[in-house]
Amino acid sequence: MAATSFGPTPTIPAIIKFSSEYDEYRGDESRSRGTAESLSFPRTEDEVRAIVRSLSSARTPITVQGARTGLAAGAVPQGGHVLNLSHMNRPLGLREGNGRFYLRVQPGLVLSELRKYLAAKAFPTEDWDEASLTAAQRLAEAPEQMFPTDPTETSACLGGMAACNASGARSFRYGAMRGHVTALRLVLANGDVVALRRDEVRARGRHLMLKTEGGSTIEADLPTYQMPRAKNASGYYVEDDMDALDLIIGSDGTLGIITELELALMPAPAVVWAASCFFATEDQAVEATIAARADLKHAAALEYFDPAALDVLRRARAQGSAFAALPLLPERFGCCLYVELQAPVEDEAMADLERLGAIVRAAGGSERDSWVARTAVDRETLRFFRHAVPESVNMLIDERRREEPSITKLGSDMSVPDDRLRDVISLYRSTLAEEGLESAAWGHIGNNHLHVNVLPRNAEEYARGKALFARWAKDVAAMGGAVSAEHGVGKLKRDFLTTMYGSEHVREMARLKLAFDPACQLGRGNLFDAALLDEVRREGAAVPEGADAADAGPDAADAGPDASGTGPDAADAGPDTSSADLDAAASPDAAPVPSAAAPADALAKAMNTGEVS
Amino acid sequence: MHIVVCVKAVPSSTEVKMDPVTHTIVRDGRESVVNPFDAAALEVALAIKDERAATGEGCRVSVLSMGIPATEALLRDGIARGASDALLLSDRAFAGADTLATSYALSCGIRELGSASMSDVAASGAPEHEEATPGPSLPDLILCGKMAVDGDTAQIGPELAGLFDMPCVTDMRELVAIERGRVTVRHATDAGIELVEVPLPAVLTVAKDIAQPRMPSIAGVRAAAGAPVAVLSAARVQADPARSGLAGSPTQVVRSFVPERSDACEVLEGSVPQQAARIIALAEEAGL
Repeated sequence: MAATSFGPTPTIPAIIKFSSEYDEYRGDESRSRGTAESLSFPRTEDEVRAIVRSLSSARTPITVQGARTGLAAGAVPQGGHVLNLSHMNRPLGLREGNGRFYLRVQPGLVLSELRKYLAAKAFPTEDWDEASLTAAQRLAEAPEQMFPTDPTETSACLGGMAACNASGARSFRYGAMRGHVTALRLVLANGDVVALRRDEVRARGRHLMLKTEGGSTIEADLPTYQMPRAKNASGYYVEDDMDALDLIIGSDGTLGIITELELALMPAPAVVWAASCFFATEDQAVEATIAARADLKHAAALEYFDPAALDVLRRARAQGSAFAALPLLPERFGCCLYVELQAPVEDEAMADLERLGAIVRAAGGSERDSWVARTAVDRETLRFFRHAVPESVNMLIDERRREEPSITKLGSDMSVPDDRLRDVISLYRSTLAEEGLESAAWGHIGNNHLHVNVLPRNAEEYARGKALFARWAKDVAAMGGAVSAEHGVGKLKRDFLTTMYGSEHVREMARLKLAFDPACQLGRGNLFDAALLDEVRREGAAVPEGADAADAGPDAADAGPDASGTGPDAADAGPDTSSADLDAAASPDAAPVPSAAAPADALAKAMNTGEVS
Repeated sequence: MHIVVCVKAVPSSTEVKMDPVTHTIVRDGRESVVNPFDAAALEVALAIKDERAATGEGCRVSVLSMGIPATEALLRDGIARGASDALLLSDRAFAGADTLATSYALSCGIRELGSASMSDVAASGAPEHEEATPGPSLPDLILCGKMAVDGDTAQIGPELAGLFDMPCVTDMRELVAIERGRVTVRHATDAGIELVEVPLPAVLTVAKDIAQPRMPSIAGVRAAAGAPVAVLSAARVQADPARSGLAGSPTQVVRSFVPERSDACEVLEGSVPQQAARIIALAEEAGL
């Protein structure tokens, strides 16, 4: 892709006028579409800062993108500028401390590449300092290392994973992304930078004060809600005396732009076994899950595939698709509990497998109705099986979309506390039956976190499915659960945020955002709608000096479609900026970038007094 | 019925490294796996066993390999998938074997599997989820993969057939029937797919995609953990030292090497005659 570069000096990164050539950057994996006037592909933090500074005077909305694999439309622009970080994809350095390795990366590095580097113990080290090279030598001699966060989509980038606090199957054992990030750098909307290292900056109670590298101070009260007792990626993570780093992770690109992450690596487990255990009924699988959670010593993942999901896969396999390579799924295999064991030695894995056998028997299943993977080939078969389930459902929906283009799959991402697993499954089953909606469910049952997918046949069912999700959000929140457990809220689930926390707590979140981003430039539409942010900003004395310039901010995007509300083609009415050449005068947002040496002083000043509460 | 499936441990990675000095494959501890063609052969055998079990007939499936002691784990995995018993031939005397010496060693193992002692082991130590039946002195079927992914020779099956004077069908794509002492299969030939029927006992070599290898169950893994895997020496199977290992291998490896690859690219410039002259010069430099 050729970027049209312009600007007074070669050090200024290109800002590209949006044209049809860049159409793919209007959307992400959520299949939502938005609009933008310009985009850029910076390669360094300095370039990010220069771009951001150039956009700050006009309060141009900035949507940060990574690999665009998100499912909550967090990377879908609502006007303004798309800051795509996919070219910031280098490992930057390595350090060793306390017997562990810590890898610094740019945010656009994708997970699959990280894994390749770790497997080969070889990194592109051209720009590394001596200390990093020494650490790399030590890592080469150390046992194989891994980064444990494992969202299914390995083309996700690490910055995006941090932005939504990604988790995935192995979060049952390792928790979500937040626990594995030890430092980050955050470029603010005015181009200033906050550098955070774990245990260095903590809130006092619910009050947070941060120093920027530019010498400014951000001071804000943290929201007062309590976090759910469940896996959670809904809104800002807060707790008393919290580490400031933890606030940024999972903030959906609304507080700043992550330009660097330090990841805590850990030794890869010596033994990785997996078992897909098939049961006749869902109740049996749920009881086995509850027992496995308590009894297994080395479970890294507990995943579930419901009867409808297996049926869809069975049909796809029978049609001779790529899934024909899967092992036969006999009819008596009603549903599946997938268990991954990670142990230091085979004997311990074997002991857990025997415990799993007892669990299966006690739940009413048969040990013979299981697939155990202990070899690379078998693990690949089970990986293929797990991925084939959502793939086959997506194929089914694509088929239906040919008849009814307005529909799409509706996938839930809600979690509940351990003691509500039976309740939430009962809720899903009874309400789906009441509505007469077809569905297929799978996901992280060990964390009481299922992706229940409604498979509408027409627009009317699609609408009923959406209404059902709103009902589930309410009921799940009442159970003490989370409306988004791993995908983040983005734009698609922001209404659920109010359901989960209540409107006053969402306003507290909005105030916190304004402390970081007074002009509301970053992540427009994520977590909050523009009207709420406007309203909160206008709340009398809460408006910081200097932030008044931001009053005009949201207007630029108001005309843009709301990617969350109007379906996958919402942005089709957006402007067609098909001109390949960028005319600096064509759009105020596409103006030449000012020199990096000319920061937006006014906004820097605003940040200095950015407290809003 | 007694079926012997011959399997080979191969490197799990396709990126095989060669030792530049010894010209042998570097076994650097990477995980070994059963040759995928052999895994398919085992699946064919287990499907026969399932079919016969459904009609109340017995069928013993033995897994056989020659290799280092660590290969025992792969054989035990075969039992977890449903094999009745396993035999590993492991001895320095077998080292350096080419295909002729390997097939000779395997033939010794096959005779051993048919001996009373091995049949007894199979019968007494068989996992609880199956029934084993003592086999005759030679099996009814010997199944091999068509070839191994690391050597690509495709010689073991035919050589075993020669040693036992059995009919051999290679590159089997479909097992059609086993009835009245005969086996009917479809196999690939240069001219296309051929339907053939041969009397038992016979040797069949199978294509990789003939069957999707089954996964072991928890029950199978548990049973295999306590199942006997015989590990026998050359002397124990009465292998003739002159026909074993390097001594029994007529194949002489003069040199093995990883071909050098170069992605250097020269763009020819100038007039057409000049470019043609350069091509001739390049060809001569390359010794063409």
